[in-house]
Amino acid sequence: MAATMANATRATVLKLYREILRESKKFTGYNYREYALRRTKVAFRENKSLTDEAKIKALIQEAEENLQIIKRQVVLSQLYKDPSLVIEGENAGQR
Amino acid sequence: MAAIGRVSALANLRSFAQLHNFRSTVCRVAASSVLKNGCCSAQIVRSRHFSCFKGVSEIQVFRPSAIQGVRHYAELPDLTFSQIEERVLGVLKLFDKVSPDKLSVECHFLNDLGLDSLDVVEIIMAVEDEFALEIPDNHAEKLFTPKDLVEYIADKTETFE
Repeated sequence: MAATMANATRATVLKLYREILRESKKFTGYNYREYALRRTKVAFRENKSLTDEAKIKALIQEAEENLQIIKRQVVLSQLYKDPSLVIEGENAGQR
Repeated sequence: MAAIGRVSALANLRSFAQLHNFRSTVCRVAASSVLKNGCCSAQIVRSRHFSCFKGVSEIQVFRPSAIQGVRHYAELPDLTFSQIEERVLGVLKLFDKVSPDKLSVECHFLNDLGLDSLDVVEIIMAVEDEFALEIPDNHAEKLFTPKDLVEYIADKTETFE
């Protein structure tokens, strides 16, 4: 029972990770995009060896809330685009 | 007189379309431009596509194949296994946690390369971007070596050689 529980959590976390990364890639602003990707990767790795179930549940909840925030902000960033940065190269602004 | 001609041209087009359940977009566009613009464009359309189109009795002469030949589809050149393998390994080499000298087609992401499941998710996403396809979660969790990835992509892109 514990094993299936752990598997279910694992799948949920990986799915969330994927969704957040996927959504973060859609930011039009370079700085927001890179920050969201970096922050997501760091935050998931920080807590990857947690075993306390209540803590894990709370963090999953937090990740879901953040995913919703990212989704809203991505739409806003697409509505109000900033000019692309020099470091984004020639194909800048086409993402 | 001109008005009568216009009306009959319209009637002809309509009955033609209804009778033959004509599916070509060219015809639909032509018909709607006739409906919108009237006689003037009808002349042009007639001269371009319906030169033989004067009455219902002459419809038999009309060859839809002449119009259907206009359609074009663009497609990427077919991939081969070696190309897919090269691109998958290229993606993996660019991934900063994979050391290029340990990398081989058979190596297992978790056991041989020492990656964790979060890294695997990132690799799968990078491969998705590279090949412009989507790998659903339930498939992604079975892909653990570059070979698996190559086979999966070959399957999805219908590569057989």
